Amino acid sequence: MKLLVCLKQVPAKDAPLKLNSAGSWIVEDVSYEVSEPDAYALEEALRQKEAHGGEVTVITVGPQRAAQVLREALAKGADKAIHVEGDGTQLLDSFATAEAITRAIPGQHFDLILTGLQSDDSGAAQVGVILAELMGIPHATIIMQIEPVPGGVRVKRELEGGAFQYLEMPTPAVLTIQSGINKLRYATLMGIKQAKSKPLSKINAETDGISVELNRLVIERLYVPGAQKKTERITGTAKDAAARIASVLKAQGIGAGE
Amino acid sequence: MEADVVIVGAGPAGLACALRLCQLIDSGQAGALSKDNILVLEKAREVGAHMLSGAVLDPRALAELLPDFAAEAPLQATVGREGVFLLSSHFALPFPFIPPPLKNHGNFVVSLNQLVRWLGEKVEAQGVTVFTSVAGRDLLFDESGRVNGIRTDDKGLDRTGQPKSNFEPGSDIRSKIVILAEGPRGSLTRQLHGKLALQGRNPQVFGLGVKELWQLPDNRFPAGQVFHTMGWPIPPDLYGGGWLYGLPQNRLSLGLVTGLEYTDPSTDPHTLFQAFKTHPMLRRILQGGEMLRYGAKVVPLGGWYAIPPNAGAGWLVIGDSGGYLNPQRLKGIHLAIKSGMLAAETVVQSMNRGDLTQLESFDQRMRESWAGEELRRVRNFHQGFEHGLWPGLAHAGLQTMTGGRGLREFYPATAGHTRMQRLDQLPNRNEALERREVITDRVLTFNKLDDVYYSGTRHEEDQPPHLLVADTDICSGRCVREYGNPCQHFCPAQVYEMAVDEQGIKRLKLNPSNCVHCKTCDIMDPYQIITWVPPEGGGGPSYDGM
Ligand SMILES: Cc1cc2nc3c(=O)[nH]c(=O)nc-3n(C[C@H](O)[C@H](O)[C@H](O)COP(=O)(O)OP(=O)(O)OC[C@H]3O[C@@H](n4cnc5c(N)ncnc54)[C@H](O)[C@@H]3O)c2cc1C
Repeated sequence: MKLLVCLKQVPAKDAPLKLNSAGSWIVEDVSYEVSEPDAYALEEALRQKEAHGGEVTVITVGPQRAAQVLREALAKGADKAIHVEGDGTQLLDSFATAEAITRAIPGQHFDLILTGLQSDDSGAAQVGVILAELMGIPHATIIMQIEPVPGGVRVKRELEGGAFQYLEMPTPAVLTIQSGINKLRYATLMGIKQAKSKPLSKINAETDGISVELNRLVIERLYVPGAQKKTERITGTAKDAAARIASVLKAQGIGAGE
Repeated sequence: MEADVVIVGAGPAGLACALRLCQLIDSGQAGALSKDNILVLEKAREVGAHMLSGAVLDPRALAELLPDFAAEAPLQATVGREGVFLLSSHFALPFPFIPPPLKNHGNFVVSLNQLVRWLGEKVEAQGVTVFTSVAGRDLLFDESGRVNGIRTDDKGLDRTGQPKSNFEPGSDIRSKIVILAEGPRGSLTRQLHGKLALQGRNPQVFGLGVKELWQLPDNRFPAGQVFHTMGWPIPPDLYGGGWLYGLPQNRLSLGLVTGLEYTDPSTDPHTLFQAFKTHPMLRRILQGGEMLRYGAKVVPLGGWYAIPPNAGAGWLVIGDSGGYLNPQRLKGIHLAIKSGMLAAETVVQSMNRGDLTQLESFDQRMRESWAGEELRRVRNFHQGFEHGLWPGLAHAGLQTMTGGRGLREFYPATAGHTRMQRLDQLPNRNEALERREVITDRVLTFNKLDDVYYSGTRHEEDQPPHLLVADTDICSGRCVREYGNPCQHFCPAQVYEMAVDEQGIKRLKLNPSNCVHCKTCDIMDPYQIITWVPPEGGGGPSYDGM
């Protein structure tokens, strides 16, 4: 099985984020890491390869610093990496990112393309779905299990409220992977050492015609949500307090009408 | 895995050593040594992420290592206006002139973690593997007691030490030569010192530097401006001082070093730093600004006489781990780089001669280099402050006039933790028992937990604690009575808390995930029952711009 895993480098969880003075983006002086659902997608791909043979390629679209997530993936056992690199590529929206990935792999065949369910930063959950559309292949989202069957795969999808859906679909296909479905491995010393000699190809985003011009999403303004917490301390007898609570609820339109 | 040279720690010392080895290989001087057989281990997730410094860089060693550094290195600014101030709680008295040893003309203001990231890229571009997220956990010895390798950290153990499904045991790296560049109070360095009973003429003493990085609203503190302070809020009988260094884009690096040799067990370096910012001079500078980053790390202050033997059969110790820091100028980066370079040269020479016992010549090389000369000239500096600021300044003046000697050739020192006094020996006990809180307004002043958030610290939660407390009965018993649990005060990241259990007994509660790897607990605990060991590789602070 040939697998492609899409990885995004995002600000580390808990990184203290600050907006730039124009309010159009964050100040990029934070540390970065691979988006968590993507890490699970990689783990799943490595497990599929170990169980059924094949090859795992990883791809990221991002500035120079994003190569870090590729090196980590190679150290964990991915075979090849592709970096669509360019200043400002972190500003691409889901559509432009999916477009960049499609343009980076012309003529290459992958049985499965895995992405994380959604990224830890913008959380749009769109790249995988749009990628499938652009490539004209089927997709399924929120995947928890993958099992090869003749001509395709059988997958388990997570639905709302503890329900699951099982379905069979043909390959090639795009699957977006849910976090927590497996246990992430650590890179071994040998893995880190060998990663250096694995192929990492760089594609210049600009020469591929990739830029924010392709974006279909416009960021009007970024802002830090203002504090909205209002606390009122209700005192007095139980009866008075109950009446006060009732009137507060009523004022907010909560509870039964007249 | 096998190697010729393993370097533990990718700080300025370790990376300078790796780079110098590569240079010697490139120029054909290193015989059979190949870049492929040089390995560097770093516990941080990325090179530079555990770097915290002031920092004013004396470029002398960097210029020797990389003569073109000025064009390439991420230097923030050249040092411009300088000031030294003596603080009282309300006033700041500028020194009329800058005492010559404190002059920084020709030096650079840098962010060490950016400088080190750059050095790391250079080393990797040379083809040396830098293993990030990998900690050296144990030193390995052969039957004859010779150091012959490193065991790396286990990954994927749970809280109780049981393997999880992704367990990855540590590996043994057998190496001809092990170079320890772990920074101050290295954990493998301690194993080595314990096993071989090594120490300097004086014990090593430390200070804890607590630092914040600020964004100022305008250029009121220009890039390259360098201020140092003495006095308040450091008690007069204690060693310490503050710094303010201007960075580009209206950023400011500021911090306070508190000597880890205080007598009052309730001394809290983090609180002292918060108090420092409330001084009218600092308040004015910080007014309207915003805190961006936080961190803390210890500095070895013992100097020349605290340097232990740093070379032996199969091993070398460089940088802060070896005690190479000029306590008078509070500068160690240039000495770390120089010691790394000389270590590389020693290694190559010994390997070429096929005689690894020659490694021992490293100590002499260091002594005879300019680095040794610089350290010798301030050999008694820190000890002069044993009785506080005023006698210290007097000694310092005298030492400058006598080439470092002062009143006698050798000033002794005592280990910092031994100076801590029991509560019943303190002159005003009630005051000591009360924690001296600074009101935290979350604008100018912050509590420890708020601050830790700004250090970007993260650890895998489900792992064995990396702070080994040998006997917690001491914590709930003797220490409550004798010292009032100083761990709660000296830790700048609230790792140590005393929680009262159902029986009303105070028990130690550890929050290891908060740990910023400063090493204070390992140093200052009065019973010496805390051992800091590296947590699962990749955990720790995530410093940026520090
Ligand atoms: C607050 C403060 C202010 C300072 N100001 C200045 C200044 O203005 N100018 C100046 O020249 N110097 C200054 N110094 C000193 C300077 O930062 C140090 O001398 C210098 O960083 C020492 O370099 P090093 O390579 O020896 O150690 P470090 O810089 O400490 O690097 C050690 C590295 O080893 C890693 N490591 C440690 N143990 C292990 C292990 N077991 N396994 C794997 N990795 C490990 C650490 O994560 C770290 O990355 C300051 C220090 C502090 C704390």
